[in-house]
Amino acid sequence: MASNGIRDRVAIVGMGCTAFGEHWDKSTADMLVESAGDAYRSAQVDPEQVDAYWLGTMGSGLSGLVLSEALKIQYKPVTHVENFCATGSEALRNACYAVACGAYDLVMAIGVEKLKDSGFSGLVVGSPAHDGARADITAPAIFSMLVPAYCKKYGVDEETLKDVISRIAWKNHANGAKNPKAQFRNEVPLEMIKASPSIAGMLGLFDCSGVADGSAAAIVCRAEDAHKYTDTPLFVKALSFVAGPSEGNKRQDYDFTTFTEVVASAEDAYKQAGITNPREEISMAEVHDCFTPTELVLLEDLGFSARGEGWKDVLDGRFDLDGPQPINPDGGLKSFGHPIGASGLRMMYEMWLQFRGEAGERQLAAPKLGLTHNLGGGPGSCVSFVSVVGK
Amino acid sequence: MSDATPAVQRPAPHGSRDSAFFWEGCRRGVLMGQRCADCGAWRHPPRPMCPHCQSVEREEVELSGRATLYSWAKPVHPPLPMFEPGYLIALVDLEEGQRMLSNLCDVSPEAIEIGMPLEVFFVETAEGGAVHQFRPRQAS
Repeated sequence: MASNGIRDRVAIVGMGCTAFGEHWDKSTADMLVESAGDAYRSAQVDPEQVDAYWLGTMGSGLSGLVLSEALKIQYKPVTHVENFCATGSEALRNACYAVACGAYDLVMAIGVEKLKDSGFSGLVVGSPAHDGARADITAPAIFSMLVPAYCKKYGVDEETLKDVISRIAWKNHANGAKNPKAQFRNEVPLEMIKASPSIAGMLGLFDCSGVADGSAAAIVCRAEDAHKYTDTPLFVKALSFVAGPSEGNKRQDYDFTTFTEVVASAEDAYKQAGITNPREEISMAEVHDCFTPTELVLLEDLGFSARGEGWKDVLDGRFDLDGPQPINPDGGLKSFGHPIGASGLRMMYEMWLQFRGEAGERQLAAPKLGLTHNLGGGPGSCVSFVSVVGK
Repeated sequence: MSDATPAVQRPAPHGSRDSAFFWEGCRRGVLMGQRCADCGAWRHPPRPMCPHCQSVEREEVELSGRATLYSWAKPVHPPLPMFEPGYLIALVDLEEGQRMLSNLCDVSPEAIEIGMPLEVFFVETAEGGAVHQFRPRQAS
């Protein structure tokens, strides 16, 4: 199977991102106008210069008209993409490929989701009805199964693992407290996290990401044109996307301590980017912390920790903002909530800020390579996206 | 928990031509499985074609209903009107080799042990339907 990648052939030259939160006063179109406007200004381009658009949204509308109507785009290609919770990343991936192949010179990837007044509490559900033989389970319940599985496989007692996942929530909230665009901007004491009401299994309220509205956008061009727009472009080193066979909940050999799809997409992305030791070579990462144990498992699936060692690295502070490999420096889904179509591009927005030295209180010293990771679905049945970006 | 009455009765599975045999089995108290008649691979939910060998020849087989508990969780939020609060969900490993998502009943969370032997039983739904559930296996 070929996956040749487009290492250093395209660059992000402008980005915009709305504040994430309960935007009862803004429509989907309002948020698109805001993030797109910020992205145009960031790249110092007029809307007329953008040749084509990729719009990621899972439940806030259908077709390219959602964007063209909002921005009054004049007869240009607008592609609507959806790929579960990785929708925003998927918009960016396809926009990058369109530029890399030479079809367009300058494009925009934009993601949006309006969850708060969708009439449904939680993430929108876009799946068609089935005949009932395929049993459904809530997201917190299926993700909660990572905890006992991890404990059993690596001999960690549940009390210790509760400390580990609570520390992940504490870290991400501490980072989000430093981010003016985050939904939740408070540090949360560890004891409050550990004592929060039960949602499912060992997951408490603070182990779950929030529900927010938001939008984020990126403008992409060929690498050789990047300096026409900015002195500090962000170059794409790798983009990987995989969908799994969705057999994990039906096969007895799946053990709930890994996302096999993430392992496959990480391996592909590292190959594209020429990375052999992600623990040492990746300076920082935004990963899909929909629930705190998800982040723990991702640390191992992405190769930041050895198998069975991630929990110790978390407790040691390896992934803190002032640690050797900060994870979710912007506050993650934990602090931003998860407006589905926007989240992948929100992650990339943090890479954009960090590499340009514009991350304020969260600014890291001289990052070399950054990674974003988006997961859609749950343990045993998901899609996974991994990007690597850098100067 | 299984003797309490939820506010809304669990809706009947609406079924399809592919899964009719499965739900019909639930109504007469038998857990049914679908297997490819050519390569022998199990599949669930039922569907017309084997995803491994593309054969449309299929067998509908009575399963033993015996399983072991692989994992479980107690979902607390969001509440669902057709379930009494405190209900348990379980991933069970069937004796025949498949894994299935269902409810775990007639056991308190404190008494649950991973790997414990389970057996299928069936509960009525609205409109005269039935769905499969699992409970600790009675000594036989």
